[in-house]
Amino acid sequence: MLDATLNFKLLEMCGRCGACFSICPSCVNIPGYDPRAVIKDILAGNHEKWLTSRHIWECLECHHCLEICFQHYGFENAMTSMRTLAAKKGIHPAQVKRGWDMLVKTSRLGEPAMPARKKLGLPEPKATGSEEFRKLYELLKKRRLEEHQADKSGE
Amino acid sequence: MKEFAVFWGCTIQTRFPFIEKSTRIVLDSFKLPYRDIDGFTCCPEKSLVNNIDHGAFVMTAARNVALVDEKNYDLVSPCTGCVSNLATVQSELKVNPREKDEVNSLLKEVGREFKGTAKLQHLIPFFHDAVGVHAIKQKMKRDFTGMKIALHYGCHMIRPSHALKNDDPLNPKKFDNLIRAMGAESLQYMTKMMCCGQGLDRVDEHDMALHFARVKLRELKALGADAMVLCCPSCFLQFDNNQFLMEKEGEKFGIPVIYYTELLGLSMGFTAEELGMTSHRVDCAPFIKKWEGLPAPRGLCKHL
Ligand code: SF4
Ligand code: SF4
Repeated sequence: MLDATLNFKLLEMCGRCGACFSICPSCVNIPGYDPRAVIKDILAGNHEKWLTSRHIWECLECHHCLEICFQHYGFENAMTSMRTLAAKKGIHPAQVKRGWDMLVKTSRLGEPAMPARKKLGLPEPKATGSEEFRKLYELLKKRRLEEHQADKSGE
Repeated sequence: MKEFAVFWGCTIQTRFPFIEKSTRIVLDSFKLPYRDIDGFTCCPEKSLVNNIDHGAFVMTAARNVALVDEKNYDLVSPCTGCVSNLATVQSELKVNPREKDEVNSLLKEVGREFKGTAKLQHLIPFFHDAVGVHAIKQKMKRDFTGMKIALHYGCHMIRPSHALKNDDPLNPKKFDNLIRAMGAESLQYMTKMMCCGQGLDRVDEHDMALHFARVKLRELKALGADAMVLCCPSCFLQFDNNQFLMEKEGEKFGIPVIYYTELLGLSMGFTAEELGMTSHRVDCAPFIKKWEGLPAPRGLCKHL
């Protein structure tokens, strides 16, 4: 599962390096936040315990590690793959789920603030593409299901 | 100059319409060929959508970019997150033809196609590169000589660099250049390039988000910064709203948080009210009072 999202060759190098720890804002500010430990466990096949840890959601995706990394790799890859895995199992902060539900329903993360817009003399907001977005999302899910079934019958 | 669509994004339109106001004022004043177009959705927010469904992340961004491609426009956004997310997908699809074909076979069902031809830019590099310091200076009625400004770039204005390709991702210069061109001192401070930390507020970690805001604001208070200037609604939320919340609990910082187009608008002679700055939670009045009280530099009119 993890090999679909992670390049293990780069990750192994990363496990031996650890250089970007001191420039990672979450490593510096959040007690217990340490992607080096997560990477070590992934490489040892012990990543399960991180799926329920709040730390995997504390990566800010600031891409500082990626930019400073000699392999343009970054701690964040390990953290992202853990979050993806956790989310697949339905484990995520409540707010993440709320945001996701709103996106799927409305195609946005909020509606334009109409009274304030009026007061400021701003023009009518343009139409959103919500209908088209929903159609595409349904299509995407349908295709995945079909592929999944095709895979299964091919086995 | 090529016409460009403005991608406002959810956060500005939902929470900070005054940012849209000052941006429009500035774009209009420079007579820039900007367009509002129908059909945009959320960019989408990477930290939210990509974690749950990478395919939906790619499809949504590719569709937004396709809308701009279709019209043969470029795209400019006053939100760092939006540009970074759209550019991340654009660059991923450019190097991955198979993924691009897959997305396009979906988009075809609604009559669209991702080409990836549109140039996607954040407002700051756009002003720096396409408008230029010279043209900006011509429009200014009064500069900010004597004011100490702490810039906060916003990680996603410049990162990931392989997708955005607009400035040095670790030691960027363009925003500094724009501020210095306005005569202000751009403070060099320890935590300048540190992430705002607003992302923590999106994963139920409000106290930790406050901690991140506090680290920067404390340093700026100690250095006597007159204001923090930034150009991202997410960072604005972090430093304006969260500063206000901490001040309510008794921690005093008093650092006005100013959006780039507000600062530019002030220098062009617009008032704080016209620019919508009176809607900030942290009062901008001390900044404006100090500025107005400074002796006017020769050759520039003091009273607006
Ligand atoms: S992106 Fe990298 S540097 Fe930034 S918080 Fe995540 S792990 Fe740390
Ligand atoms: S992300 Fe790069 S710099 Fe950071 S520890 Fe891994 S290999 Fe080293």
